[in-house]
Amino acid sequence: MDQTIICRCEEVSLQDIQNTAITYNCSAREVKLRTRAGMGYCGGRTCRPAVDAVLEAVTGEKAGHDIPMKVQPPVRPVSLAILGGKMR
Amino acid sequence: MMTNRILDHPVLGKLENQKTVTFTFDGVPYKGFEGDTIASALLANGIRQLRVHEETGAPRAIYCNIGHCFECRVTVNQAQGVRACMTSVEENMTVESGKLQAAPFESAPEEWPRTYAEFEQKNKGKKVGVPHV
Repeated sequence: MDQTIICRCEEVSLQDIQNTAITYNCSAREVKLRTRAGMGYCGGRTCRPAVDAVLEAVTGEKAGHDIPMKVQPPVRPVSLAILGGKMR
Repeated sequence: MMTNRILDHPVLGKLENQKTVTFTFDGVPYKGFEGDTIASALLANGIRQLRVHEETGAPRAIYCNIGHCFECRVTVNQAQGVRACMTSVEENMTVESGKLQAAPFESAPEEWPRTYAEFEQKNKGKKVGVPHV
């Protein structure tokens, strides 16, 4: 169970996130920076709620109403070719 | 060929008069139907693994199938990072799976080489791919 992958892009397991949160007693954002969970190709759009949920279970930090873990634009990864007008 | 398709659906009816499209995945030719995504065409051909994790080599396939997670990204006609679940398959399309990549910085900081000579010594005959130095 603890080997369950939370962040698939960076292959961060539930155990990694729990250990980091317990060791450093840190915020969801700090867990992101320490483990890279949510910093991969998809930009954390898949695992961010899961990371927040783990943090709430471990440290009691509740996710705010803001977008969690300081996400930054773009909403989706966009290639320069698309911005330049190519179809794909 | 095309063994995994539902050809007679209780609600949607029979799958008939589909136009066939030929494409290649990692150099092997496959047939799909017009309107298939790359992922669905490959799934119909029994191919589930679309790439491996770049660093660990763990297999990856369709995960969200709605273009959200980028887990199914493949290289299409030399364009990287194309989502197999969102891209319609086209005639003569060349699809390449995602491969394992060199990870020259995977060790812990304490183990990092301090000189280039140390780096060469450490990685003698070990790494695949082009050295990133």
